[in-house]
Amino acid sequence: MSNIGKTLLKLLGKLLLIALGFFVVTFTVYFFNLDMKLTAAIEPFLLRHYDKIERNTHL
Amino acid sequence: MAKEIGADRFGDFYIDGGKVRRRREWRGVSDTLYDYSRWLVIMATLGKFVMKPRNVKAMFRYRWMANYLAVPMMVDRHTQGLRGEYLRICHTEQDLVIDDVAKLLDSLFRGDRRMGNDTEFSKKVVLVDENEMTAVMMGFPTLKCLSRETPSTYVSVLLNQHAAEHYIDVAQEFGLAGDVCPMPEAEAGVSIDDDAPVLGACAVQCNTTCDGSLLGNGVISRRLELEDGIPVFQLAAPLRHREDDVQEYAAQEIRNAIAFIEKHTGVQWDWKAYFECAKRVNYATKCRQEWLEMNRTPYPQVFGSNLALYTETNYMAICGRVAAFEKADRTITRLARQAYEKKMRAAKEYRHRAIVWGVQSHYYMDFLVWLLNCWGIVPLTDMLSMVSTREIREEDTPENREQAYYDMAWLTENMIMRNRTHGGYRVLLDELWEFTQQFNADMVILWEHMSCKALDGMHGMFEDRARELGIHLVWVEHDLFDPRIISRQGVRDQINTYMRTVMREEPIDPSLEVLHDEESW
Repeated sequence: MSNIGKTLLKLLGKLLLIALGFFVVTFTVYFFNLDMKLTAAIEPFLLRHYDKIERNTHL
Repeated sequence: MAKEIGADRFGDFYIDGGKVRRRREWRGVSDTLYDYSRWLVIMATLGKFVMKPRNVKAMFRYRWMANYLAVPMMVDRHTQGLRGEYLRICHTEQDLVIDDVAKLLDSLFRGDRRMGNDTEFSKKVVLVDENEMTAVMMGFPTLKCLSRETPSTYVSVLLNQHAAEHYIDVAQEFGLAGDVCPMPEAEAGVSIDDDAPVLGACAVQCNTTCDGSLLGNGVISRRLELEDGIPVFQLAAPLRHREDDVQEYAAQEIRNAIAFIEKHTGVQWDWKAYFECAKRVNYATKCRQEWLEMNRTPYPQVFGSNLALYTETNYMAICGRVAAFEKADRTITRLARQAYEKKMRAAKEYRHRAIVWGVQSHYYMDFLVWLLNCWGIVPLTDMLSMVSTREIREEDTPENREQAYYDMAWLTENMIMRNRTHGGYRVLLDELWEFTQQFNADMVILWEHMSCKALDGMHGMFEDRARELGIHLVWVEHDLFDPRIISRQGVRDQINTYMRTVMREEPIDPSLEVLHDEESW
């Protein structure tokens, strides 16, 4: 096999590994609902932040 | 974990007292991978949205933006138990609605004086109510028709059942009555709390649909006109919309609204654009009718929240103005036909065929999914989906240009909810029983929105007619935007009690009968 062929194979292998890694990580996040568990933990901090904002509250 | 429809115990996904669910469903390889791929698309939409600094800034300024943390969960609630074509129909709709709302938010913050402050863009913006037919914008393709209330209150409550509570409290702290509909009350609360984006060349408000709506519009327009310098037009559509003698007045209101927008934006009405939109409105109507026709058979396909949420968006907020919805109509119809030919069913058992009537609980929109999975009650259609099926003129001729004002007026008069809660008891009461016959329904789930005076007055008349016709009528009380008054379990309990005591039935999925989801989004 020529050098170009070997380089291409290596590149393809790396791309497949990256794709597999991406799938494993994102599918784990998806299946165990980790995205929602994380955002649920963020919400209380945001609500406390909103309470501190000065507003021109009136009718 | 199961591929087969109905093999899961859906109650096991809930965490007692938790905000989110334990995990997502396993639907078999093909459907799980499909659902996962759509989740990736939603994450990409959200990622694209937060790439813009002004949108992140808005996230830290507007309280209601915190609800958008729950977007993927909203989709999960509506896809519960779905497989095959049903899952794909749901995603076709929900993903498009999410994309449309993301664009709406992006546009609002672009023009918002506190965020992007793009003044040239703001000059092209016409603000409209959340609960308003956008027909008067069909001939203004270069203007941006934006609703501040849609993302701040309407969508927020779909995402998080508690989203409107803060704003309801704010409105009542300022002395607004507590017994009006909490939807316009929350919208007024957003304005009072200085939590609405400020932008636009002008605004068009509609007298939809009740005392609360008029109250809310008064509070909002006062701030818009007197403080922000944004002129507001009050589009007062007739309430007795089935009467011939109100149509000329209704058409004149449309002419006046168009003239108002032209005056304040400097943009002229475009008939070519109008008739293009009219074609899309007719196509959407044709598709909806085909779905409803299928729902009259033993094999309904586009029903429950798949029908309700999409119709609300497509019919009222879009009104032919966005081509992507025509493509979605086509896809949904193709999927529905496929499923119909295969005689598919969305749940393992169909026990009752129900018409859902009245104004549904907004903090529990996935109740329709629960009805099907817990008790096998198929929500064939709902009041808010039974809107105008009249074809409007779509060819550009001098006669049709004149008729177009009447068509836009007709659509505005017959916008969602308004076409049933106003217009006399025929549209609210009599036609319900006609639909039960047409759809071969044996049950009516009747939402009693306790702050909606338009419906509450007819309680006894509904009961009398149901008794005469031998239809099972199940009342379900709620308070639209405020789960503190009647919780989601409070809603479910009313069905559970009826099904156990009157129908003497056991649930299909007992794990769903009692859920501790008071704290859930």
